[in-house]
Amino acid sequence: MHLHLRRKIVNRIALGASLVAMACGLVFLGWILWTVLMLGASGISIALFTQMTPPPGSSGGLLNAIVGSLILVGLGTLAGTPIGILAGIYLAEYGRRSVLGRVTRFVNDLLLSAPSIVIGLFVYALVVAHTGKFSAWSGGVALGLLVLPVVVRTTENMLLLVPDTLREAAFALGAPKHVVIMQVTLRAARAGVVTGILLAVARIAGETAPLLFTALSNQFWSLDLREPMANLPVTIFKFAMSPFEDWQRLAWAGVLLITLGVLALNTFARVVVRPEKSSH
Amino acid sequence: MEPHNEAVAAAQQAQIEFRNFNFYYGDYHALRNINLPIHRCRVTAFIGPSGCGKSTLLRTINRMYDLYPNQRADGELLMNGRNLLDPKMDVAALRARVGMVFQKPTPFPMSIYDNIAFGVRLHERLSRGDMEARVEWALRKAALWDEVKSKLKASGTSLSGGQQQRLCIARGIAVKPEVLLLDEPTSALDPISTGRIEELIDELKSEFTIVIVTHNMQQAARISDYTAYMYLGELIEFGVTDSIFLKPQRPETERYITGRFG
Repeated sequence: MHLHLRRKIVNRIALGASLVAMACGLVFLGWILWTVLMLGASGISIALFTQMTPPPGSSGGLLNAIVGSLILVGLGTLAGTPIGILAGIYLAEYGRRSVLGRVTRFVNDLLLSAPSIVIGLFVYALVVAHTGKFSAWSGGVALGLLVLPVVVRTTENMLLLVPDTLREAAFALGAPKHVVIMQVTLRAARAGVVTGILLAVARIAGETAPLLFTALSNQFWSLDLREPMANLPVTIFKFAMSPFEDWQRLAWAGVLLITLGVLALNTFARVVVRPEKSSH
Repeated sequence: MEPHNEAVAAAQQAQIEFRNFNFYYGDYHALRNINLPIHRCRVTAFIGPSGCGKSTLLRTINRMYDLYPNQRADGELLMNGRNLLDPKMDVAALRARVGMVFQKPTPFPMSIYDNIAFGVRLHERLSRGDMEARVEWALRKAALWDEVKSKLKASGTSLSGGQQQRLCIARGIAVKPEVLLLDEPTSALDPISTGRIEELIDELKSEFTIVIVTHNMQQAARISDYTAYMYLGELIEFGVTDSIFLKPQRPETERYITGRFG
């Protein structure tokens, strides 16, 4: 009896502690969302999506920064995803226990945890210092380097979740290895790989440091990849630090846009990853 | 049902034969000196307690162990007189002639139609009409056609467990193999699905040589013509199923099939 009572009490305490911890997490998340929503909502207007970033004291929007961010994130995803998927396939299907596989996995983990400012400086030294100017495509390279390790890791993990009997079943029909991978295992892991890409996109959408050294920013409308390009994170950084009130309001509106975008991507990723068991 | 003499003679001739066959997982000697015939268009069952090597033996017939670098075999494994262990053997072509069905159903993540067409496309170029006919033929053979004919585009994973297993059998048959290897094909299924698979095996043996690994001795007794009893990597006894179950020659076999051990 005594033992049971003790267990009950310990259970209560453990449950209480985890509830408190959960509440802490949720409260801060809710707080952040609330603040962003309150301060950002006032800046949301048609002009935000139709006008360029203004000089201080005049009205304007974030159109060039929004489009620039979409282009930069697109470039980064385009650069990082194919290499990432191929490397993930190598790790899961070919180099599981090989030395090269282990080294690649280790280096990828390093890249995954590298601070983004380091990536920014690396691309600065490699590209910007040589070409002599900040450019959109160097920003794309920096973001691609951030996408790469996330995609490698998720592709590998999702492929490892595919049971080996499925591979054996395909081999048992006489399929060569590339057919097994492309038509069976990669297809079985598809939802997870797509989720990984979406999460990587969400991660780079708000990255500021790598863009500061590469794409920099642009006060004006520019689609030229060889020129500096406006983007939301650096614009937010610049505007939020300024003493001008209308710039600060635009910065909050930009923060709200990024937050909503990332929230939407994450939600979409959750829905996509849901197993499609009964797809009649 | 007794076909004419020529067919009887062909049927009695061994299609596959293990001769002084050994198998190793790394340093571990898993199968010792196996000598065993597999007869054409008959059902041969491998029985024995867990870990006796019956699945290992089955998986050598389509060289499944090639996928794993530390596994190897020696001795002879003859199919229609050719040694399958020959390193020059074309494994893809061998696997087109030897189909395999696994313990857990393994539908591919694609439509029912594509599940069947997958293997056929690897070995043959068929026109659309011929492929459709082949898919229907395989699904009919596997007694699945009536249940899926209206939803061939649906995902293979949307079927029930028993249907998935029949899909996998259809997938194997579609390539028109000579031999079907069944690795405990009903152990994950309910009794009704099991019954349907057993009926199916009985129908298929008129066209295919069938080798089945099973934990279920009643199943072996019900569906097989020949039974091999294995224990600790050795073949203890092989013979016509009725005589193995009614009057086994070896006391170990008798102890196992009467349930006193294993």
